[in-house]
Amino acid sequence: MELPLISYVVFQNGVILGADTRATEGPIVADKNCEKIHYMAPNIYCCGAGTAADTEAVTDNISSQLKLHRYHTGRESRVVTALTLLKSHLFRYQGHVSAALVLGGVDVTGPHLHTIYPHGSTDTLPYATMGSGSLAAMAIFESEYREGLTREEGINLVTKAICSGIFNDLGSGSNVDVCVIEKGKKEYLRNHLTPNPRTYISSRGYTFSKKAEVLLTKITPLKELVDVIEVGGDAMEE
Amino acid sequence: MDEVFPVQVKIMKVDFSGLESSAPLYGGNDNLLSDGFADAPSFDLPVTSDFDGFQKASVQMVKPAKGTTTLAFIFKDGVMVAADSRASMGGYISSQSVKKIIEINPYMLGTMAGGAADCQFWHRNLGIKCRLHELANKRRISVTGASKLLANILYSYRGMGLSVGTMIAGWDEKGPGLYYVDSEGGRLKGTKFSVGSGSPYAYGVLDSGYNYDMSIDEAAELARRAIYHATFRDGASGGVASVYHVGPTGWTKLSGDDVGELHYSYYPVEQAVVEQEMTEAVTA
Amino acid sequence: MPKEHANWSPYDNNGGTCVAIAGADYCVIAADTRMSTGYSILTRDYSKICKLADKSFMASSGFQADVKALQKVLSSRHLIYQHQHNKQMSCPAMAQLLSNTLYYKRFFPYYAFNVLGGLDSEGKGCVFTYDAVGSYERVGYSAQGSGATLITPFLDNQLKSPSPLLLPAKDAVTPLSEAEAVDLVKTCFSSATERDIYTISKGMFGENSTGGKQKAQAAVAGDSVEIIILNANGVRRESEPLRRD
Repeated sequence: MELPLISYVVFQNGVILGADTRATEGPIVADKNCEKIHYMAPNIYCCGAGTAADTEAVTDNISSQLKLHRYHTGRESRVVTALTLLKSHLFRYQGHVSAALVLGGVDVTGPHLHTIYPHGSTDTLPYATMGSGSLAAMAIFESEYREGLTREEGINLVTKAICSGIFNDLGSGSNVDVCVIEKGKKEYLRNHLTPNPRTYISSRGYTFSKKAEVLLTKITPLKELVDVIEVGGDAMEE
Repeated sequence: MDEVFPVQVKIMKVDFSGLESSAPLYGGNDNLLSDGFADAPSFDLPVTSDFDGFQKASVQMVKPAKGTTTLAFIFKDGVMVAADSRASMGGYISSQSVKKIIEINPYMLGTMAGGAADCQFWHRNLGIKCRLHELANKRRISVTGASKLLANILYSYRGMGLSVGTMIAGWDEKGPGLYYVDSEGGRLKGTKFSVGSGSPYAYGVLDSGYNYDMSIDEAAELARRAIYHATFRDGASGGVASVYHVGPTGWTKLSGDDVGELHYSYYPVEQAVVEQEMTEAVTA
Repeated sequence: MPKEHANWSPYDNNGGTCVAIAGADYCVIAADTRMSTGYSILTRDYSKICKLADKSFMASSGFQADVKALQKVLSSRHLIYQHQHNKQMSCPAMAQLLSNTLYYKRFFPYYAFNVLGGLDSEGKGCVFTYDAVGSYERVGYSAQGSGATLITPFLDNQLKSPSPLLLPAKDAVTPLSEAEAVDLVKTCFSSATERDIYTISKGMFGENSTGGKQKAQAAVAGDSVEIIILNANGVRRESEPLRRD
């Protein structure tokens, strides 16, 4: 299962992550409303494109390592920690773990945004896109991104970039998920925009006329074949 | 008979997935990320520096892999011809209503196994040639002649990827005639043939039940049963079992039965005694 | 340097889905209007349906360059036919012409998956379905193209009639009225669109960049399924917008 599109942008004092919700298997839509923004830590989220199983497994795995690390240190996780764990995991597997990730979060050092490629290389950017719809989304970012976006402007820009992917890339589709992370708070806007409702529903409805025909009914109760020996309630205790 | 099976075996192995209408689009190298990731769905494209090789490959792609059961045999009262009606592309059943017995003219039938278009087209072509022969010579072509016309055409295309396994059955001045012709160039005269992926099953029934002195009804029933049993064991055969008879006055269609319904007529569901009612079973 | 062209192919798949339903006195032929290659859209408004004669229409998916070439061959052959016979070709005649035309390129096939729909000489609806090299069959309904595997089982369930091969023969006409058939076709396409990424008509997306929730603009003509309906009164054209992602 391939997960195609994601994009991120850093705004004034936080990070906004966005993703479409289509998952495909070849030409078929496997999931019309999947979640591609994965939880890493309370202040860090991660979008995954690539093989669904890989993105899910790798983010879950690193997420639990981060939690253990927080128990050890008693401090909030840093984005670079997650980044290092992810990239070293991916590098170890030499690109065989098909996860292309965008990692975003806010920690003591401020907002951060990184992209991680399946082979383990990383980038640090003010805005980034990944997946099959990345060119369509990047087109929007390149033309409209500027420094010092407000929260509202940021959300709108990410939504617009994702929509560009949804409508222009066949691998992306359905709805827009958005996640806003700011210092000390986060907001996960699941299905922030649903621009693709069902187009036509027959007013007549339709029926399944041909019913299965019952050719044979045979019931063999277990009780007649098996002797159930009633044992006292304390049989197990002996 | 060795000639028969190579055709069919080859057909069954053909990978048609590349050209199925639902096949994924081309798009091998436009991955936006890194190597091997987020590839658009793709199929291997033929190597085209070698154009002959490409042509062969493209022919292979277009050839519908078609499981089939067809049979024909000569008996006392003429020729009995029968076939199933299923067409498949790989695992997908593309039709359950294919006319695999092709009516060449009122005295001659052809059966269809292998590539659907190859069989359909060349039988149509044979029909034209037979009619022209009639007009030129004021008499109908013999089954021997017709089958040889087809065999010669197929032989001229040998090695180019045609896939045809057919039986030409008819009645001519010499009585009943039956030939097996295939795209490898084979042409065999005989009294009993079965062609297609279901043929081993059909032969099993046919050989055990065949008797030259059968009546038309008995022969038709044997043919029908042979097709039915082939469709029962061969997943690539199914649909409707059609049975034709060719006699001195030409061919007639004797029957066409859904093999699903044939199953229940051969093996009716016996109403078993209900040992216990549902309500009682629940309370028990 | 023979390896240089190893990945080149004379074919492309431009996606798309075609459906046709034959009724007692009508025929419905439908196709989506998007043309794509790989994960990109080439155009959102491309008709896959071609009028070959007064009473025959062909809908084709596959490689649109081959389809165009095929349409040109057929229309020129039809023009010659009209000059020779001073009449329009009947739909069954056109069906066999199409079969022969496809088989003519048996060793370098047209990458085209066609459905031919129309009215026969008695005014009955007829649908012919083809493979790429010209094997054809007259059927009551057919779906071809990228959404065929999604639509065919649905049509089987709704319309499956007794096989024409059965003896004694059973009446095999689609029991639907014309309006019901058109309705069914629209349902087919809106369903296929939900799951097949290549049967989606992509529409222009209009949004306001200043903020707030963005809204998809009303479908521009063509982001849709194109439906041709033939009956005794003539030809009618309808269109129904589809989702555009």
